[in-house]
Amino acid sequence: MIGEDFAELLAAAQEGNELAFSRLWRDGNAALLRYLRVTAPESAEDAAAETWLHVVRGLTSFSGDEQAWRAWLFTTARRRTIDEARRRSRRPQKALEEAPPGQVPASPDAADLAMEHIGTRSAMALVARLPPHQAEVILLRVVAGLDTATVAHLVGRTPGAVRVAAHRGLRRLAEILAEAGVTL
Amino acid sequence: MPNFICPSRRDVPLISDASLAALLAGAELPPGAAPELRPLAEALAELAGRPVGDELAGEANTLTAFREYFGASGPAHHVSRNRRPRPRGRRLPLTAAAAAATILGLGGLATAAYAGALPAGLQRLAHDIIGAPAVGAQPASRPSLPIPAASGQPSHGLCTAWAHAKAHGTRKQQAVAFSKLAAAAGGPGNATAYCTATAHSATPPSSRPARTPSHRSGKPTGLPTPRGSGKPTGLPSPRGSGKPTVLPTPRGSGKPTALPAPDNSGGATVHLTQRPARRS
Repeated sequence: MIGEDFAELLAAAQEGNELAFSRLWRDGNAALLRYLRVTAPESAEDAAAETWLHVVRGLTSFSGDEQAWRAWLFTTARRRTIDEARRRSRRPQKALEEAPPGQVPASPDAADLAMEHIGTRSAMALVARLPPHQAEVILLRVVAGLDTATVAHLVGRTPGAVRVAAHRGLRRLAEILAEAGVTL
Repeated sequence: MPNFICPSRRDVPLISDASLAALLAGAELPPGAAPELRPLAEALAELAGRPVGDELAGEANTLTAFREYFGASGPAHHVSRNRRPRPRGRRLPLTAAAAAATILGLGGLATAAYAGALPAGLQRLAHDIIGAPAVGAQPASRPSLPIPAASGQPSHGLCTAWAHAKAHGTRKQQAVAFSKLAAAAGGPGNATAYCTATAHSATPPSSRPARTPSHRSGKPTGLPTPRGSGKPTGLPSPRGSGKPTVLPTPRGSGKPTALPAPDNSGGATVHLTQRPARRS
């Protein structure tokens, strides 16, 4: 999250200031990737790149605060993954190879495990074990930083349903951690 | 150690609202939160944490796209393209009140308005609000007078002001109003002729009834709405203050804006029904 500098950065980026845009990109891209790598791992990097292209093209027309900005980023990303999933489901050869989004755990490979940032990847793997809807809600709340109402709008459910999904998801995550014997 | 074979849901406490909020924010648990939630809080803090690993890898490609779209980097080197991004200051559509503020606050535009030289939409607006000639009408003719640089004072505002001061004002107000009018007209003796000439050169009155403001010194007058828009707008005083004194209405609010009280030692407010001098 950028916070109080957001409006200034946005304005500068909209006037073509590359540094400002870079700042916005750095703040948003990691969040996008984390969301995408859990919900649509087979096309996460492509979806992220396409999302930013869309954002660059629409940048000068955008107006809003940081919540609205992030909502735009994640709405765009989500739409890309849905379109991509539809496209893939139409290709019969590929259907067997690819699992539907959200059910493939982002299992860290050896290289990732060796990274010092195992905590982040592990956390993603953890969330990936949730039912897809709960995983998405938790990612949009925690990673994207969107509030309940915005998440509700994005996923097409009521705020109450989103709250329930978040609560259930968190309880399930806590259970998984407890089962795994994770302690401080 | 927790029992791996039969994990019990009792191990997981109910999550309080405060803990829930903290967890979803990737933040520290509040004091008094169930300790069993701590591993979860840590995991979520990681999720919400700063970029790591390859998460910043795609920047170059995106910046290239940005550069191509916006032209050379830096606001100083704006390359003009067909899809040149609009300057940020002008992204709001021109509301009626904002247009009025623009017209009335800038002498140059007021001149253009009176010359009937504005684009049609703005000209209509100017016609409604300050009595500039309607679209296609003859430009308001007046003696070649210098318009006070910042006031955009419509010439027949002075006439109306004087008429009003005569009817309602104190002697001092009348004197001041008249002296202004005289200055504009090029001499005291020309004042009446000036007002008559201005009256005839302006467009015929619209169907709106002329309204006499209940003018109390120091208070802004209420204003009838401009034709069709439904939004009452304020008008500046005719004094050349150099500042647009209209308060633009926020878009869509439809709320009337108050006239800032002009320095009332003799200035008078410009009336909306800015047709020629008041007809009885």
